[in-house]
Amino acid sequence: MENKWELLESSNEEREKIWKKNRTFAGDVWFRFRHKPTAIAGLILIVILLAFAFIGPYFTDYSYSNQNLDVVNVPPRMKVYVTKDGSGYLYITQSLKVLWVNKDGTLGEQLPRLREEADSSMIIFDCNGEEVGLYYGITPYLIADPETRVIYDTDTVWNKSYILGTDSLGRDILTRLMYGTRVSLLVAFVAVAVNLVIGIVFGGISGYVGGIADTIMMRIVDIISTIPLTLYVILIMVLMGAGIQSIIVALGTTYWVDMARVVRGQVLSLKNQEFVMAAKTIGSSTKTILLEHLIPNAMGSILVTVTMLIPSAIFMEAFLSYLGIGLQPPLASLGTMCNDATENLRTCPYQLFIPAAMICLIMFGFNFVGDGLRDALDPKLKK
Amino acid sequence: MNSENILEVKHLTKHFKAAKKQVVHAVDDVTFSIARGKTLGLVGESGCGKSTCARTVIRMYDVTDGQIFLDGTEITRMSQKELKPFRKKMQMIFQDPYASLNARMTVRDIIAEPLLAHRIVKNKAEANDLVYSMLERVGLTKEHAGRYAHEFSGGQRQRVGIARALILKPELVICDEPISALDVSIQAQVINLLKDYQDEQGVSYLFIAHDLSMVRYVSDDVGVMYLGQLVEISEADEIYKNPLHPYTKGLLGSIPIANPKLARLKVKSSIEGDIPSPIQPPSGCRFHTRCPYAKPECAEKTPKLTDAGNGHRVACHLY
Repeated sequence: MENKWELLESSNEEREKIWKKNRTFAGDVWFRFRHKPTAIAGLILIVILLAFAFIGPYFTDYSYSNQNLDVVNVPPRMKVYVTKDGSGYLYITQSLKVLWVNKDGTLGEQLPRLREEADSSMIIFDCNGEEVGLYYGITPYLIADPETRVIYDTDTVWNKSYILGTDSLGRDILTRLMYGTRVSLLVAFVAVAVNLVIGIVFGGISGYVGGIADTIMMRIVDIISTIPLTLYVILIMVLMGAGIQSIIVALGTTYWVDMARVVRGQVLSLKNQEFVMAAKTIGSSTKTILLEHLIPNAMGSILVTVTMLIPSAIFMEAFLSYLGIGLQPPLASLGTMCNDATENLRTCPYQLFIPAAMICLIMFGFNFVGDGLRDALDPKLKK
Repeated sequence: MNSENILEVKHLTKHFKAAKKQVVHAVDDVTFSIARGKTLGLVGESGCGKSTCARTVIRMYDVTDGQIFLDGTEITRMSQKELKPFRKKMQMIFQDPYASLNARMTVRDIIAEPLLAHRIVKNKAEANDLVYSMLERVGLTKEHAGRYAHEFSGGQRQRVGIARALILKPELVICDEPISALDVSIQAQVINLLKDYQDEQGVSYLFIAHDLSMVRYVSDDVGVMYLGQLVEISEADEIYKNPLHPYTKGLLGSIPIANPKLARLKVKSSIEGDIPSPIQPPSGCRFHTRCPYAKPECAEKTPKLTDAGNGHRVACHLY
């Protein structure tokens, strides 16, 4: 170009043209969602949890209900005694028995008991033809040679047979955790579905129609929300029997009331805004106004409410199961697992911590995803 | 019934219920008509019932009393369902371009909404061509269609609002202070857009504003409202040159004059005091509490809108 100051041609159309590819609304939402690290972390976490709960059980050798009273309350990390010849380990169970542990950390058979020497506070077991003594005179109990009274060397190894240990009935905690997570995710799904369908429609209609319809609908909500859920579940249990179905019915019939209130409040404040009036003067149908104007604009509050309700629904199931009116044994849920664990919390705290940590992970996942979705659905935050 | 008139409003009254069984007399006994292709400007101070009047005419509110005829058909008591075909003939442009557009919708969806509501097109894809030509008509380009309302300036948003109102090719557009939220430079653009469209399509406007000079520029007729009542209505130039009602005189006296020499000559005739409560409007002539020419008669008898010569009608005991 010879003259650097020559004016460049530009048409009005080109000036306003956006050269970037135009994204659809869904593409836009996904773009904003994936640029939020916490949201993606939450999504990955939920996918992992789903895989854990639904695919995991195919890869375990145990079932959630199989009891093995030989291996009761074995923790994931065991304090063991090294045998004299070093070919394996010995583990003292809580019922004063000695368990053979292989070199790789898998559990073996219980040692046969030979006799008890009460005067020296020792129980003698047979370990591959050699006598070992379990000394129970002081806690923690020890394994020593019955002749020389020399204590065996100690070591700690990871439990390879039961990666997360066993519970008080000798059931594999990992397997039970998979089934428990399944129940919790199912409850979360039901809570979300019920909230999104009944809660939004009920609240939306109540707020939009107003007047007497609103009063009647809100009194129904008041009545439902004043009946304690525990009472409700017990009544449903009488009809349907205890189990997951009663909890789902109880959640399904009552859990949308908070959402209905939130949506009604949002719709009340939105319906007098000018863009809704504009839609009315255009002649849009009530359905269009509700679904395209009011609810998308209330989406922020709706998602916040959903993400708050998912944890509370999971907790509610855990709580009902904890009280013993939810899932019945041997079925596992995170709540029943916590409940079972409290009996021997002092000796086996891992039995409580593992399902409790799982509840935390589920909440983290849903909270992060809900938070990310709320931001992603708001076009004002478009980048 | 005059077939020349697109809109006729007779004795329109709109009362709102307030607390303790009180009644807000927002619009009381207002009568006017708009001829095809003409513009009626409606002016008055804040709270005088201009917007309520417009919203009642478009049936956003239910009518307390009176009659509304749109294109010769009475729509006063129609249900929203019966009203739907008439919505096509009557559209509204809103005051606040920020609040009147849904933040969650793209401009394309906003403008296509009336087309879909009236089943002029079957789906959004079919609406595209109409939406693009409308966007160009209001001075935007089709590249704007995929954007959200918050990505535009106030003037551009108002154009989107206008595009939404005009896409159904209505015969009457109610402009509820369409320019009062805009910059002065943008106001002129928007007004010219509306005027050009009127020349092209012969649409009628009910134009509400409190910018008196702008109203004079756009209107064929001007009505002055005070406390829910129409106090004076006439041809635009006539009302500005020869205001009869003391309230109109006061209003016009409040227009600043750009030329300082003329401004010094101007007789100061501003209105004292505040607008009375519409819950208990003053007896007789509602303006008598603030009127400099009030007579005892004014507090007792309600003046009727009477012709004071060449179609200039005024509700005042002085004439």
